[in-house]
Amino acid sequence: MTNMRQTFGKTLTEIAKKDKNVVVIVADISHGIFSDYREVIGERYFNIGICEPAIVNIAAGLNKVGLNPVVHTIAPFLIERSYEQIKLDFGYQNLNINLVSVGSSFDYSKLGCSHHCYEDVAILKHFKRSQIFLPGSSDEFDVLFTQHYKDNKINYFRITEYPHNHKINLDVNKREYSFKIKEGNDLTIVVLGSQLKNAIQSEEILRKQGYDIEIIYFNTVKPFEENIFLDSIRKTKKFICIEELSYSGGLYEECLKTSLRIDKKIDSDHLSINDFIHDYGSYEQLSKIAGFSVENIIQKIKNLKNK
Amino acid sequence: MLLNKELRLKIVNIIRDAKEGHIPSSFSIVDILDYIYGNVLKIDPKKPEDKNRDYFILSKGHAAAALFVVLNKYGFLSDYQLNSYGQYKSILGGHPDSTKVPGVEASTGSLGHGLPTAVGIAFGLKIKKMNNKVYALVGDGECHEGTIWEAANISSNLKLNNLKVIIDRNQSAQQLMPIENMEKKWEAFGWNTIVFDGHNKLSIKAAFNLNHENQKPTALIANTTKGKGVSFLEGHGIWHHKIPNESEYSLIKKDLES
Repeated sequence: MTNMRQTFGKTLTEIAKKDKNVVVIVADISHGIFSDYREVIGERYFNIGICEPAIVNIAAGLNKVGLNPVVHTIAPFLIERSYEQIKLDFGYQNLNINLVSVGSSFDYSKLGCSHHCYEDVAILKHFKRSQIFLPGSSDEFDVLFTQHYKDNKINYFRITEYPHNHKINLDVNKREYSFKIKEGNDLTIVVLGSQLKNAIQSEEILRKQGYDIEIIYFNTVKPFEENIFLDSIRKTKKFICIEELSYSGGLYEECLKTSLRIDKKIDSDHLSINDFIHDYGSYEQLSKIAGFSVENIIQKIKNLKNK
Repeated sequence: MLLNKELRLKIVNIIRDAKEGHIPSSFSIVDILDYIYGNVLKIDPKKPEDKNRDYFILSKGHAAAALFVVLNKYGFLSDYQLNSYGQYKSILGGHPDSTKVPGVEASTGSLGHGLPTAVGIAFGLKIKKMNNKVYALVGDGECHEGTIWEAANISSNLKLNNLKVIIDRNQSAQQLMPIENMEKKWEAFGWNTIVFDGHNKLSIKAAFNLNHENQKPTALIANTTKGKGVSFLEGHGIWHHKIPNESEYSLIKKDLES
């Protein structure tokens, strides 16, 4: 199976064959995945080196002369280190950019906190012109990127190393950001990106124990698509949100705000990241430490259901 | 003889009225800005977005008052707009806003941003095979910022000979954390360098007329004085962001009119 980063290279190569305005800048990363791209569109691919803030400023300059920059590197350096550049060039001055990260959350689990990034979504969400995509599979990346890379916005695409491996029914002609994965009546799991895998496994176990759980999957935090979610919680009146993001400023916040508009009592809980995950280990090991385990999800659901 | 007394007085007037602005930093660059807007930059105030224009970015955005009086002189801003500087709903404030002011290419203020943005513009023009020129003006104090040197390294590697950077060596850095051998530093990063007197018209003219026939970007290092033209403002750190009171204003005016 093609991983999401390889899909990024392929999708971009196809786009750039037709769109002469796309310019790719990388900060010394993903050379392999761009080998086809370099061959096809060599003069519009640049490895500028390890200087992320300047690269983001340079992308602003490229956009000033009508080019469409795609900037790619590791999430903490692309978003957190370069945040002032993103804020001033693209937030304040209304310029346009495609930011494509790898290594978000704790994907680089053995590299330590310097390479973790949980707050990227929260700090980008602040900008009126931002769009934030967290595809959980390669197919979703391809559709979301192709649909949105030309939007005159701050487009953030967060590539995960750990896709959920679940087939999402995508319609390339429709801009869809949330999907009903499983129908149920007792409680709604709202889940973002790669965590769909854990949500599905948890639901399967709970079903055998007599629970009737609905799963709503999001691959986009902003724009927040509320309709499927609203219909679901009107029915179940309880939801739990699972997101590999900082506990503030993510999908749960959107869900909570939206749920307040319903004239019914809605109970909710969430599973997200609070502070640093200080340990080294595999992605699965760090997931457990952070609470993203099937056992913990099941326990949280039972607590919420019995509330 | 001091250049541009009239522009200096306008700078002081708008800053005094608004009670906001940086007079010495504006005085150190106003002669250079006046020269390049009058003689170097190919930009039309009637078509400030023309795709064939030259680009100028004031990276040391706190000297915005100097830029605004020059934009007013060359027809980008009306007298009414200039005199609204710092007022509620004005398009002009203590740092320039590219989304509001015609002729302003980048909203600067946080130091170290304007030059790398200029690098992106120069790079984009090269990609598009266009011949426009790009100019950025940075402060010597601003050269403390790491992004200045990130941009310096990238520019020479990308062979951006369509880019010229003016370094306002007004000795701000000297008051804080000195940057010795400025010319050698830029040369070491692969740039052409020219040193000139930023308050002497002939020297400014000679510096901007000199074009190197190579692929390197060019650093024009301007020896200037903060507060140039008013004896008690010159070089004094205390005046960096100080607004003159009435008696100080009278003294400034007297100095400029003498």
